[in-house]
This record gives sequence, C-alpha cells and structure tokens, in this order.
Amino acid sequence: MTAVAATLRTAVANGLANRNSFWFQVSLMVANDITWIIFWVLFFHQVGNLRGWDAHDVIVLFSILLTTAGVALGLCANSRKIGQLSADGALDETLTLPVPPLAHLLSTRVDAANTGDLLLGPVVFLLAGNPSPERAAMFLFGVVAGSVVLIGFLVACGSLTLFVGGRGEQADLGFNAILIFASYPLDLFGGATKMLLFTAVPAAFVTGVPARLVRNFDTPEALLMVAVAALFALIGWGTFHLGLRHYSSGSIWIR
Amino acid sequence: MIAIEARELRKTFPVRRGEPVEAVAGISFAVEAGERLAYIGPNGAGKSTSIKMLTGILHPTSGDAAVLGIVPWKKRRELAARIGTLFGQRSQLWYQLTPRQTFGLLGRIYRIPADEERRRLARLGELLDATQLFDQPVRGLSLGQRMRCELVASMLHAPEVLFLDEPTIGLDLVAKARFRDLIVRINEEQGTTILLTSHDVSDIEQVARRVIVINHGRLIYDDRVSVMRRALLGTKMLDVRFEQPPASVEVEGARLVKLSGAGAKLVVDTDRRPIRSVLDDLLDRYDVVDISVADPPLEEIVSHIYARPV
Repeated sequence: MTAVAATLRTAVANGLANRNSFWFQVSLMVANDITWIIFWVLFFHQVGNLRGWDAHDVIVLFSILLTTAGVALGLCANSRKIGQLSADGALDETLTLPVPPLAHLLSTRVDAANTGDLLLGPVVFLLAGNPSPERAAMFLFGVVAGSVVLIGFLVACGSLTLFVGGRGEQADLGFNAILIFASYPLDLFGGATKMLLFTAVPAAFVTGVPARLVRNFDTPEALLMVAVAALFALIGWGTFHLGLRHYSSGSIWIR
Repeated sequence: MIAIEARELRKTFPVRRGEPVEAVAGISFAVEAGERLAYIGPNGAGKSTSIKMLTGILHPTSGDAAVLGIVPWKKRRELAARIGTLFGQRSQLWYQLTPRQTFGLLGRIYRIPADEERRRLARLGELLDATQLFDQPVRGLSLGQRMRCELVASMLHAPEVLFLDEPTIGLDLVAKARFRDLIVRINEEQGTTILLTSHDVSDIEQVARRVIVINHGRLIYDDRVSVMRRALLGTKMLDVRFEQPPASVEVEGARLVKLSGAGAKLVVDTDRRPIRSVLDDLLDRYDVVDISVADPPLEEIVSHIYARPV
C-alpha cells in the first residue's frame, strides 16, 4: 500500500473514531442536499425549461457537484485548508516526513459532513440520472476530472497565503466563488461571467462541462476537460511548491 | 564524522509594516556524529528557526548547511528518511487513534517491513517503558505519556540524527527527569546524534555534553557543558517558605535576595559552599515549611556570557 493510501485510510479511521458524531454530520449534510434537490424539482415544475435545462439535467448536474465536492472537500478535506494550515505553521509535521507534501496533506483529513455529499451524489445519479453504461462512464469521468479541477483551484487559492500572508482568506474566497457558480446550470450565465467560469474561477469545469458530457458526449470537449484538469493540477501543485519557499512555520512576526 | 554543519546560516522574516526580523543572523557550527548537543537560548533567540532550517522545513535567506551530507532544503525527503524530529508543542500522533495506529502509518511512510517494525516497536517500547501505552487512544494519555509515544514515533525508523525542539516543555519535574534519561539512553545505546533545543537549564546539564547558546539569532557560546557548569552555572536559587516570618535570613554561602513575609529567595554560590550544606544549615536553624531549588534562569546565564571578559 502506498504512503498516500495508508494516510487516507488512517484519516478515515480518525474521522470514524467518534462514529455517532460522524454519522450525525453525514445525515445533516444529506438532509441539506435533499432539500436543495426538492427546491430544484419544484422550481422546474413551475418553470418547465430554462435555457435548455430541465429538472432532469439539473439533477444530473447536482449529482456531479455533490460527488465532486465529496471527493474534494470530504476525502481531501485539507484542499480548502492549505492557507490556514500554512498560516498556523501546521505544515511542519508533513515537511518532516519523507513524503510528497501536497499529496500527504490532502490525504490527512476527512471531513464528515462532506462525506455525506460523496455518499449521496452517486445515489442521486443512479436514481434520477438515467444511468446507462455510457452515461455512468461519463459521470465517473466528469467527477474525477472535476474533482482534480476543484482541488487544484482550492490548493492554488490556499497557497496564495504563503505569498501574501493572512489566515487563508484567499482559499475561502475561492471556495465560495467556485461552489456558488458550480451549483447553477452553465447556460444561465453569459458574457464576462461565463468567460470567468471557464478561466479564473473554473466552475464550468467542475459541474457544467461534465454535466454536458453526460448529456451529449463530445470528444473535443472531453479532451478539453482532461487538459483543464491537468492544467489546474499543475497550477495547484506549482503554486503550493513555490509557496513552500516562503513558508514561515507560523513565526508570529511575519504578519 | 560530521553529522550536522551550518555555515553562516541566516533567516530573515519579512514584516508587512516595518523592518524585516532577522531570526537567525549568520550562525556557524558543526556537530560530530554521536554527540549530544544542547542548543539553547531565551525565547525568540532563533532556536526553532535554526532547527527548522536544518530539517528542511524552512528555506534559509542565505548561508549553507548539511545534515548527514545532505542540504536539507534541497533534498528534504531524502534527509527526512534519515533524521527524526520531535517538536514539544506539536504532535505527530493522531489524536483520536492509538499510538500503535500512528506507528503503523509511519511504518508504511518509512517503508519499514512489518517484521522489522514489530521488532523495533518492541525494543523502543521496552527502552522507553511505553509498551502499555501503545493501545490507548492518544486523547486519553497524559502529556508525559504522550511525549514518550512521540519519542517512539520519532525513533521508529532508526534515525541517525534526532532533533528535539523543546521536548520537555509543559512536563512536570518527574516526567522531565525521565524524558531526559530516555534521550541519554537512546544516544548511548543507539549512537543517535542528539540536537536538543531548550530554554530550561536543567536540560543542558542532564542531557548534553556540549552546549551552544544563541541570543538574538547569534551564536554567543559554544563549549563543553562541564566547562559551562564551572564558568556560568555556579549558583542555585532557593525559594524558601518559613512557619513564621523571620526578621532576617543569614546562612553562610547564601545571599538573601528577597524577604517577603514568610517567604524568602536566596542565591547560593555553589563554588563557595555545596548546596546540600546550605540546605542542612537552613533546616537546622529555621522552621522551614517548604523549600525548592532551581537553576538560574537562562536570561541570567546569557547576561553572564555577555559580561565575560573578551
């Protein structure tokens, strides 16, 4: 077993140490997600169709969002905490181990609440996403690629703390922006906003493009998705490792 | 063989509004393999920053260093496999799990074969008297018990150099004494090079053979502990509480520093008269309720170093 897999397994065991608390948080998140799904169903029941998106499409999008968020924020919970960990000097333990630091950090914390997203997302797709083998394969592909984009983006935002200081606020800004935009159908946005979602805040590649691929597979778009995932993985990895040169290990006088 | 070498090592931290802070201001020293070195100084002297550069956690602003022949910040992972670290104010144990579960993970990280891991755990558990703690959740351990398990975690991969950053901080007197003894045993039985930072003078006397004192990021003293003891540790502080407030306290070899009601503070010149003899005298002549003996604070030793003739 690789060190990363062993670390993730230990993080899961650590998260499950208080089983009642873990499953209570999972249940609350599942209830919260189901409320959202009910909202969308009622909304499209009234509206019928919105710029080519119906309730069915939005539920597929939502199932991708839940699963992607479950991977990025549940299994790799530190992806949104890099800034705070850097500011607190909490990278020390990782940096004293003979491991790739980013992979180790991403596998050292499992968040119970977002694990609820990870459990519910595939269930929603299986129940309401017309899961043919082709669509299921695209769902899986979209979730993997979307998770890489989301993790890469969050790590890059968090790593900015290593350059500019602060308490990790950059990661919180990025986190809020990308998840808000990723929750809505891509075609609701236009102009500069849409451009933003395909570039600086890549919400389109977290849910919109994967949902479109599940609906209508398109080879160039799938290749674009792979390229963007690779690009954001590189951006996240590069920003973090360049930032490590500026890591101050929580020295109180830096900011 | 040189285990640790620093040459003009310097670390400056930027400050958003104001002058950059020079935490380590060009330190040079070398440590032989198998040495026990105390690297001491007051709070903010630059001890932890030095250790973090030598372990590859921090990149220096300038200067050079090699640990086991490896430049720490250039080949951090390669070095990490050969050194151990223990930070007194941080934990490498998973709080909700048992120490044995953390050791299992470290075994995978350091790629220790399962049989070898079991053998090492048995040996370290016996050496540090910690085997009975391995299967208790970390959250239920006392600080002293936890630090013994932290030491096991740091030693599991048989490091050649062990960096200990304030390992005795927060421990009570009994736990401190036991921990110091364990560090000495590890050094003597396994030949591990020890670099220990502390601002507790007792750590120096009981663990190290050599001491380096730094202050304001600069090396101000480097000598054998026996030499330092003779030159700078010739006093002990006595804190005494009497049954009734005495009019005065007069004991040969002791100087009264403060008298406040039934409490008194005295400084004993141990070169002039042994501490035991002073204590005997005090107990014979006064109705003593409580008494404690302490080393002079590190700040006082630092001021003695600065006051020495050049």
